[in-house]
Amino acid sequence: MSEPVAVERIIARILTFGGLFSIALVLGGLVVWAAEGQPQAREIVRVVHNREAGRAVDVFTSLSDVRRAIVQRPPDPLAVTALGLVCLLVTPVVGVAAAAVAFWRAGDRDYVAISSIVLAMLVLSFALAAGG
Amino acid sequence: MSPLELVAALFATSVMAGGAGAILGLGGGILLIPVLTLFFGIDLHYAMGASIVSVIATSSGAAAAYLRTSLSNVRIGLFLVVSTVSGALVGAALAGVVPTRLLQLLLGLALAYSTVTTLRQLRVELPEQTEADPLALRFGLEGTYYDAALDRDVKYRATHVRLGFGAMFGAGLLSGLLGIGSGAFKVLAMDHFMRLPMKVSTATSNFMIGITSAASAGIYFARGDIHPLLAAPVAVGVLAGAVLGTRLMSRLRNTTIRKAFLPVLGWLAVSMILRGLGIGLP
Repeated sequence: MSEPVAVERIIARILTFGGLFSIALVLGGLVVWAAEGQPQAREIVRVVHNREAGRAVDVFTSLSDVRRAIVQRPPDPLAVTALGLVCLLVTPVVGVAAAAVAFWRAGDRDYVAISSIVLAMLVLSFALAAGG
Repeated sequence: MSPLELVAALFATSVMAGGAGAILGLGGGILLIPVLTLFFGIDLHYAMGASIVSVIATSSGAAAAYLRTSLSNVRIGLFLVVSTVSGALVGAALAGVVPTRLLQLLLGLALAYSTVTTLRQLRVELPEQTEADPLALRFGLEGTYYDAALDRDVKYRATHVRLGFGAMFGAGLLSGLLGIGSGAFKVLAMDHFMRLPMKVSTATSNFMIGITSAASAGIYFARGDIHPLLAAPVAVGVLAGAVLGTRLMSRLRNTTIRKAFLPVLGWLAVSMILRGLGIGLP
């Protein structure tokens, strides 16, 4: 069985790259936040929304929250950190998708099906989370 | 404590949680949540958000290394994840319908029994290979890894695959119903039922927990439970700890890992029984 070794190598690379890329964003945001004297969240809509929901003002609850806080001037450094955390959270999902492709290339139909089922269930979980 | 001091203290705690998680096949929530809530006084919601980040960071850091050294078995991991995630989805759907406390009590008793059986197996370095399970042959649930502690290649093949698959569904079901992590149950199912070497069980659990946690990570993020200032030092610390943990784990004996796993099982059993009896724990 030589194919699984290739599959394992591909998933290992994705997990390593995903982890390092995410941590670079997380650390970058954190360092800028500390260097700027630990500023509080500056985006009024999010601050008000969070206060109304009884949450900490620095929290992000959607990707559009993160995007808005990054593109505003000056950007919110914690939004970069939050983007890094989101990248970290989706890394295992990308790993499963890559496994499905790698098994398909290796001609292993059983594991293409198994990886696809796992991927479908993850998508279902995300959909249920978005709906709930 | 100033915010920067808190970040530094969280980082140091997370390095230890990541190291232990990588060796024992756990996400670190069992260690992190009590520390974050009791010692740092962090709100339980943010502690749980940081914990889910910790699980995925441990998995990314540890599984990458274990996949390269063939300690994590992708086929066994993906095969069993189907069962765990479907169990978790059913569990989440049934939450609020079934009596949680009775389940916690039953789970606690089952874990107490597992603790006793693990105690009996403490000196077993590698499981004896029994006759081949047709499902293990059909789905290639086998592998070989180099054991640095034994200085030889170890070949293994899963047995009692149906039982392991069922136990994984149960683990997912309970984790969905009770909102608990299932790393310890995954290790238990692979070690006890499927008779895989302890190292392969914890390393494969490390690969699996990242996938199963990703399934619920979206819920935590959308709920605003992932606080960047708390989750960031946890993610960085846990990842660093997990990388260090993987280096240590490859040199440890299976019996040593099982001995370290035993107190975790015992603690889980006690906490589940107490919760089942209505005595709250963090």
